Amino acid sequence: MNKKTLTILGPALVGLVVVLILLYSTRATDQGAELYAVHCQSCHMENGQGLRGVIPPVAKADYLSIHRAELACLIRYGAENPMVVNGKTYQQAMPGNEQLTETDIANVLNYVLKSWGNEEKPLSLQEVQNQLEACD
Amino acid sequence: MKAKHFLYLIAIGLFVVSCENSKTGSNKLPVLGTVEEAQYQFVNQDSAEVSPKTFENKIYVTDFFFTTCPTICPTMKQQMLRVYEEFENNENVMLLSHTIDPQHDTVGVLRTYAEGLGIASDKWMMVTGDKKEIFDIAAKYMVSALEDESQPGGLVHSGAFVLIDQNKKIRGYYDGTKEMETNELIDDMKVLLNE
Ligand code: HEC
Repeated sequence: MNKKTLTILGPALVGLVVVLILLYSTRATDQGAELYAVHCQSCHMENGQGLRGVIPPVAKADYLSIHRAELACLIRYGAENPMVVNGKTYQQAMPGNEQLTETDIANVLNYVLKSWGNEEKPLSLQEVQNQLEACD
Repeated sequence: MKAKHFLYLIAIGLFVVSCENSKTGSNKLPVLGTVEEAQYQFVNQDSAEVSPKTFENKIYVTDFFFTTCPTICPTMKQQMLRVYEEFENNENVMLLSHTIDPQHDTVGVLRTYAEGLGIASDKWMMVTGDKKEIFDIAAKYMVSALEDESQPGGLVHSGAFVLIDQNKKIRGYYDGTKEMETNELIDDMKVLLNE
């Protein structure tokens, strides 16, 4: 390899590495969004609006602050009984997500807590772990 | 050489234009099958009997779902709601959703679901009944859709909306999980109503 190709290839390689690192790190921060798209979006919809009176909205839902301490258990084990969200009663059951790890649950919840106009404080992994230990 | 290339370009251009025309130029929908002979008897969310007579002289859109379906059904229902809203006041149009899980989806469960959607039961019927009868009728509606369905069990899980005309002929298949295809369905229904 001669000097000329090195001076061209060198910066190009560095540039490529930087781009890859950037891509990788933004992917990592979007993990919650990806989890949401795979596990939640089919019901709660892309914009978090839910489905009329069938599936409650997660966007601007008062449930998120009122039942903050139960959110991790809800994601892992789902819910059978009717629940009230923003003053409306919902009858459908939500299935559990027992395949999601504690980190997954924290990530997907934190995505919900800050999206579509939601401004809830994020849950730490420790909080999620504590909640999961206390599920009944 | 150059002139030849140019001619090719013109030929391709003409071909593309003619394809476009044949697509937008027709104002009649194809006939893809028929359910004229099909017999069934289901009950809807109000416990009212539903049979082929229910849809006499109507065009209707039908699909298959179940209330506890975690995957595509909520999206399909969201799209069907758009169709519902578009034709809410047109008495020549009806919608018919069959549950494929009649054991769980009883009349009461369907009523709760329909109330959640806020729909009128004489416009959008959610029906349950004998499981075999439901799957038999699904096969009749999906006749041509089936050929395209590669995945096993694809027929009822395909998310398809099927458009049926006043004479119980099948006039269109649409992917009910996609907004664009639902737009197409709405357009086609307008065409059908003007036929
Ligand atoms: C099969 C449909 C379905 C899926 C998938 C689903 N949910 Fe739900 N979700 C529901 C229903 C229905 C309720 C109401 C449950 C009840 O009334 O008992 C609900 C309730 C909730 C609530 C509390 C009420 C509210 O709207 O704030 C939250 C938060 C929530 N879901 C988040 C999630 C998250 C996060 C995921 C993905 C990990 C998810 N859901 C996946 C259907 C679903």
